[in-house]
Amino acid sequence: MPERSEILNPNGKDRADRESTDQEPKIGVYICHCGGNISDTVDPQKVVEALKKLPNVVVSRDYPFMCSDPGQALITEDIQEKGVNRVVVGACSIFLHEQTFRRTVARAGLNPYLYYHIGLREQDSWVHHDHPEEATDKAIRMMSAGVAKARLMHPLEPVRLSAEKHALVIGGGVAGLRSALDIARMGLKVTLVEKDHFLGGRMAHLEKVFPTGEDARTLLHELIKEVLAEPNITIHTGAQVVAVQGYVGNFQIRIQQQPRGVTGDFREVDEAIDACPVEVPDEFNYGLSTRKAIYRPYRGCFPSGPVIDWEHCNHCEQCLKFSQNGEINLKSEPIEFEIEAGAVVVATGFKPYEPFPGEFGYKKFPEVITLPQMERILSKEGPTDGKLEWNGHPVRSIAMIHCVGSRQIDGVHEPQADGNVNNYCSRVCCTATLNVANLIREGFPNVSVFDIYQDIRTYGRGHEDYYLRASKNRVTFLRYFAEEIPEVAQAPLDSEYPLLVRVKDHLTWGEEIEIPVDLVVLAVGMMPSPVDDLIDMLKISPGSDRFLLEVHPKLRPVETAVTGVVLAGTAQGPMSIQESSAAAEAAASKVAVLLGQGKVELEPYVAKVDPNRCQGSGECVRVCPQEGAIRLETIGVNGSSAQRAVVTPSMCNGCGICVSSCPNQAIDVQGWRLDEYEAMVDAVTEEIPAQEAVV
Amino acid sequence: MASNKLTVDVLVVGGGIAGMQASLDMANQGYQVALVEKNPSIGGKMIGLSKVFPTLDCASCITTPKMAAVAHHENIHLLTYSEVQTVKRNESGFIAQVMKKPRYVREEDCTGCRSCELVCPIDLPDVENEFGRIARRVVYVPFATAVPQKAVVDIDSCIFCGKCLKACPADAVDFTQEPEYVEIEAKTIILATGYQVTPYDAKEQYGGGKLLNVIDGLMMERLLAPTGPYGHVLRPSDGKQPESIAYVQCAGSRDETLGVPYCSRVCCMYAIKQAMLLAGALPMADITIYYMDIRTFGKGYEQFYQNAKAMGIEFVKGKVARIEEDEDQNPIIRVELIDEGSRVAERTHDLVVLSVGMLPSWNPQAMFGVQVADDGFVEQPSFNLSPAMTTQPGIYATGTATGPMDIVDSIMIAGAAASEATAYLQSLDGREPAGSLVEERSVVHA
Repeated sequence: MPERSEILNPNGKDRADRESTDQEPKIGVYICHCGGNISDTVDPQKVVEALKKLPNVVVSRDYPFMCSDPGQALITEDIQEKGVNRVVVGACSIFLHEQTFRRTVARAGLNPYLYYHIGLREQDSWVHHDHPEEATDKAIRMMSAGVAKARLMHPLEPVRLSAEKHALVIGGGVAGLRSALDIARMGLKVTLVEKDHFLGGRMAHLEKVFPTGEDARTLLHELIKEVLAEPNITIHTGAQVVAVQGYVGNFQIRIQQQPRGVTGDFREVDEAIDACPVEVPDEFNYGLSTRKAIYRPYRGCFPSGPVIDWEHCNHCEQCLKFSQNGEINLKSEPIEFEIEAGAVVVATGFKPYEPFPGEFGYKKFPEVITLPQMERILSKEGPTDGKLEWNGHPVRSIAMIHCVGSRQIDGVHEPQADGNVNNYCSRVCCTATLNVANLIREGFPNVSVFDIYQDIRTYGRGHEDYYLRASKNRVTFLRYFAEEIPEVAQAPLDSEYPLLVRVKDHLTWGEEIEIPVDLVVLAVGMMPSPVDDLIDMLKISPGSDRFLLEVHPKLRPVETAVTGVVLAGTAQGPMSIQESSAAAEAAASKVAVLLGQGKVELEPYVAKVDPNRCQGSGECVRVCPQEGAIRLETIGVNGSSAQRAVVTPSMCNGCGICVSSCPNQAIDVQGWRLDEYEAMVDAVTEEIPAQEAVV
Repeated sequence: MASNKLTVDVLVVGGGIAGMQASLDMANQGYQVALVEKNPSIGGKMIGLSKVFPTLDCASCITTPKMAAVAHHENIHLLTYSEVQTVKRNESGFIAQVMKKPRYVREEDCTGCRSCELVCPIDLPDVENEFGRIARRVVYVPFATAVPQKAVVDIDSCIFCGKCLKACPADAVDFTQEPEYVEIEAKTIILATGYQVTPYDAKEQYGGGKLLNVIDGLMMERLLAPTGPYGHVLRPSDGKQPESIAYVQCAGSRDETLGVPYCSRVCCMYAIKQAMLLAGALPMADITIYYMDIRTFGKGYEQFYQNAKAMGIEFVKGKVARIEEDEDQNPIIRVELIDEGSRVAERTHDLVVLSVGMLPSWNPQAMFGVQVADDGFVEQPSFNLSPAMTTQPGIYATGTATGPMDIVDSIMIAGAAASEATAYLQSLDGREPAGSLVEERSVVHA
């Protein structure tokens, strides 16, 4: 990988060493009550008193909310008036408010890295709430360790780098399109990759979107047209990320793109499709119909031309008969290319839950289908041309079952292959189901609809109307409990209907009700798209629900733990279209904040070589897992040339493996030096004067 | 009447969590922001909450750092205790007349030391922040974490004894203060005017506000907050620690008799959260939640609900019909127990919490020309794709001004409003494309 020349301060030019460290440390320690989260268990007064006795501690205080403005003012005043030059705060997790207190310290004129944060809440009070005395003792020890480190801390400067004013958006559904458009409109370049050959994602499969009743594809196409008209956006369909390197501001991303096999100006589309002898299940209709190996999902799709399904094409070349000018090329090969992006928006969306064979009779009885399939049946362009019929028979009675693949309970529901059950609510299925129930009752008034639910969750603006309308449309509601799952069975031979649904209905006091039906519709929930490869490449994490995890739902709701990688839409969790749009715009906003200035700052916690100790053994270079982070350079030493290790700070991730490998102890990680660790360990284990105070 | 002028890129109206977040998102991109808040402190409704779902972080831990960030941001001009009075469009955007209400304390001089509060001889119920459950003085700093930390005089209750004048070390008290007017010129506007809860006396069947031991969810938040009035959960009539607490869901939502057909979206989760906090604060208390549907739809919310059930909190399906009280002022709930054969029962509790819903706080139609929908919240003409857009170009709406939503969703849509407003500002600047990247890769290659 080429060395980056844009590094503005190659070695973090230590104002450190200038401001320096000769001055006597005057340490201020601050214990936050966290509004009871800490002080309900830990006795802040005892901690304050114990810490006062430690050398170099000039101020020791507690306060209900250190992060509040008055709390922060205590710190700034102590720095300015009492000469405090090292700050240790014992509060919540470092992930929450490290940045907050860095800004506080900097505002008072102190180097922000002369502050150290101790997680008294997550690491002490929350885990020891039944043992207040021991927790108080632990708090004193943790804080003493912080003080020990603070005595040795040096001022540091962040690594400042130029940033690409260019974002990569992964996913071309509504969230990806929306965030791409917003980022571009904020003046940044955008590359959007979509793994499918067509844009629009799951929204393209829908008919009427709630709560506006708008036509889904009309609405989607408006957005796509705006995206296509935006000169800052480049779109690659059939494209996937295959490798990621770098960091915020400077990601190098390798993309592999499958060929379409058909040029955009190909005219005799229908003829070529008709000529193709291959038939495979049509994923656009969720398998309710078939398509050819040269296909497009629907008329008016984007891009509008067909593609070759390389997996199923048998190269019979029937379609080539209509390719007068070589518009179809069955020998196309995938290509790979690399882009540089400052930030990545992950908008990889969801997939509908796929019930197990036999779950509510799914795959066992052909009359059991999913809600996305039902939406396709209701489509005028769908597999039945909008007619409500199944297997050639008109449909008279439909049961719709909620929470299939959502709100599952361990021990009640069968786990998936990875051992998980979906214990979350998928948020949209209630309104989506009622939307379909209303379309059926209003379009086909002779068809009965039975809605079998646990709780009706029509929470959003305008959603409740769908529930009221369904009641007025005389949809019959039955309520089941998760522990008593409704049963879908074959109807008796003398029945006019193929299926029987048995429900213990808690609206009629637990009565066992049998409903003869022609069709059972399973309101399947949302599952995250399978993106394990992206998770590995981007080093981001899924949550316990397997959707991608944000740093904090309120403080940093669209950011991941990797700076520069943000989430948009249902990759993060179930959302409606509106919520996906809002999340995508919030993600765009975050990208604009990160890259808008054309530069980014990285943490200074990187390896630093002491050239006087380095003997050029090269051990560090050998063990370094990060390509380009450390190398040997030949330099002049006392008139002769010698090899010395040199760190490229922007590449170093501060893992410290080099520190442990160096035979001459010539490398340390700034901000986490060995002498600091040693002092902290000593402080934790020492008989500190605090001990008497605790008794 | 002095008139000051302020020229900014964006005017944000409302300093609650949504307004603060939108301001920060814009200011962090380098735009100049004027944030106007009608109350003496920013922080909105959220700063009054105890802990917030589903993480159970203390609300202050999330809000106060954002308040501090707003206060110290070099690109944010904060105008508290101020109200927009008129808004006009001109060729470059909008001109808003903003009145800074007199605090009778010079903001630039006050240090927030509270010496004035100590000497003030008059105690009044703190209706503004504590529902009148404890007292405040006539001159007071609104609450411990208020931003700015500046005192304000409740002039209507002041007897002009002059003690605060003498006590103030900064000589900041000034009874002669007049309203100040600031003309704000902004290219775009974000409305983050928030919500109000259903008045807890609105429903006659629930006692019409006359039953002492029937309170609402926001009042319970204060009782549970570490900064709250008593430091304990005590019931209003006699200060007893309640041993049996009931939540009445949909008290003001999904209720056509109150003209509120919609779901307020947050009440299920806040009731469950309060129930869990109560189970911690009062381990022996019985807690019952009477509900129609439990709507725990957000990320991690269903798991939160299941945890509450596992903790022993009782969930009873049934819409409460009526609340009365016995001779000891214990509320009696009349409810159809749907899970028990729809038997009608009367159950007595020590304390009842009405899970009141959300109503729009204010109608911006007359002043800003944005339309409001039938539900009273700001109309979202591009509901699904541009949720922050209003019917007025250049004016965006966010947070609960656009309908009930929780904090997570408010913060999300605040980012959306910032994004849309930024794109609008860029379009005004006749933005140059960042560079053409158009390639034909998306079509075909052979």
